[in-house]
Amino acid sequence: MNIKNVKAVNRMFVAVLFTLSASVSAYAEVVIIVNPSNTATLSDKDISRIFLGKLKSFSNGDKAVAVNLKFGSETRNEFEKKVLNKSSSQIKAYWSKLVFSGKGKPPPELVSDKDVMALVASDSNVIAYIDSASVDDTVKVLKTF
Amino acid sequence: MKALCKSIVLSSLFIAGNSQADIVFNGFASVVAGVTTSSDERLNGYDDSIDFSNGSLFAIQASSDIGEGLSVTAQILSRGDDDWSTNFEWAYVAYDATDNLRLLAGRQRVPFYMFSDFLDVSYAYPWISPPPGVYSVAFDTFDGLGAIYSTNFGDFDANFHMIYGGNNTEIFEGEDTPDFNDLTGISITLNRDWLTLRAGYVQTEMNIPVEATQPLIDGWKGAGFPDIANNIEILKDTGSFIELGFQLDFENIIVIGEFTQLNLDGTTLANQDSYYIMAGYRFSDMLAHITYGVDDDARDRITGGVPVGVDPSLDFLIDTTNGITDGEANEANYITIGLRWDFHDSAALKFEFTSYGDDLNSNNDAGLFRTAIVTVF
Repeated sequence: MNIKNVKAVNRMFVAVLFTLSASVSAYAEVVIIVNPSNTATLSDKDISRIFLGKLKSFSNGDKAVAVNLKFGSETRNEFEKKVLNKSSSQIKAYWSKLVFSGKGKPPPELVSDKDVMALVASDSNVIAYIDSASVDDTVKVLKTF
Repeated sequence: MKALCKSIVLSSLFIAGNSQADIVFNGFASVVAGVTTSSDERLNGYDDSIDFSNGSLFAIQASSDIGEGLSVTAQILSRGDDDWSTNFEWAYVAYDATDNLRLLAGRQRVPFYMFSDFLDVSYAYPWISPPPGVYSVAFDTFDGLGAIYSTNFGDFDANFHMIYGGNNTEIFEGEDTPDFNDLTGISITLNRDWLTLRAGYVQTEMNIPVEATQPLIDGWKGAGFPDIANNIEILKDTGSFIELGFQLDFENIIVIGEFTQLNLDGTTLANQDSYYIMAGYRFSDMLAHITYGVDDDARDRITGGVPVGVDPSLDFLIDTTNGITDGEANEANYITIGLRWDFHDSAALKFEFTSYGDDLNSNNDAGLFRTAIVTVF
């Protein structure tokens, strides 16, 4: 290889490194999604209350059914930290209080963003959260965190 | 009533199973070890040899949604200090009448305290177990009806819990079964962001036969003092209980306080005033906390109007009765420091040291170390 090529390769190498490190250090964005036909508007507080079982309907009166990702998943941890403002142990303790006193039960859990989107697309009462990178046009994004 | 409850719930669970409603299982467990700091110290059932069964427990809850707003829940608990015998802590049928109103029938918890509903779920609160001075009512379940109503006033979420029923299960070993009838209670919880306020009131008719006091009761009746006899006998007496509590849970700081007053006038059992206040600080996945508590039990003498020195058998009745009421007095305070470590996403490790001081008899002072691993599943 002559010197020009080596320099070019070096530059490419450095550029790739930058891109890699940029994508690794970028925080995952969590988006709240609902069925495209859902016309409700929700404040951050309302969203938090729905996922904590304190609010059971949308602003237009329709029933709101929250759905979680699997306990311990990265997107869920981000959601609990950014939107519910609690660590996952605190959330677990919160739901334990309700489950073991017969006063409530946590939202059902689905395994992947795809499963969540499939449910949201088919049911206008469901509200959920996924990684922003998974969004497609079968769902409507309410908010980004 | 107890057997009827159990059979209703068990058969409902079987019906639910047959009609393919899912039965959901949850559980919780605590393994607790404790030891006092020296050989002449005893506290809450612990002494100076390490005890792994006092305070340890294991529970399974089965819950099934049988449709049309009805659900069935049963919780079976097994305690180390009860020789691991299994008991139904709860067994009830619930009906979600509306989004805000839930009706329950069967065996449930009495909402005495802030943590009554999940009293045994150590994972749900900071301590290994809530301060025993305050959490000291003799029974914590009842058989009957309950109603839970949730609503909100502006920014405040409000929850009203009302109960009516009774408790006829044996509490005191070797005695006749006590009867608590017409048990009525209400608790109100208000919550706004980081602030929770709670107030509770429970009252019941108490019938507690104590064989050892029968000769004394008969003696007073024979001596012509039926009022004093009635005060000793616990028959159709009304006991009442008041609780006030708060929680501040803001960022890394948590503060909890509860004050309770138990009124047992008309008996020789003491009225009890107790309170505690706890402050905690969260850092990484740990919570360090310190609690200060006070217990004050008292029962005034009831032999006031009786002439002394007139008759030796009357004096004997007076002295014995005074001994009982004087013996009910208790003034104590305690400090507990503890650490909770959420080392796993469903389990926590806890360490606590309690220094207990008896203001009336310093021989009862004690230090207690406890550690526990607690989990929910």
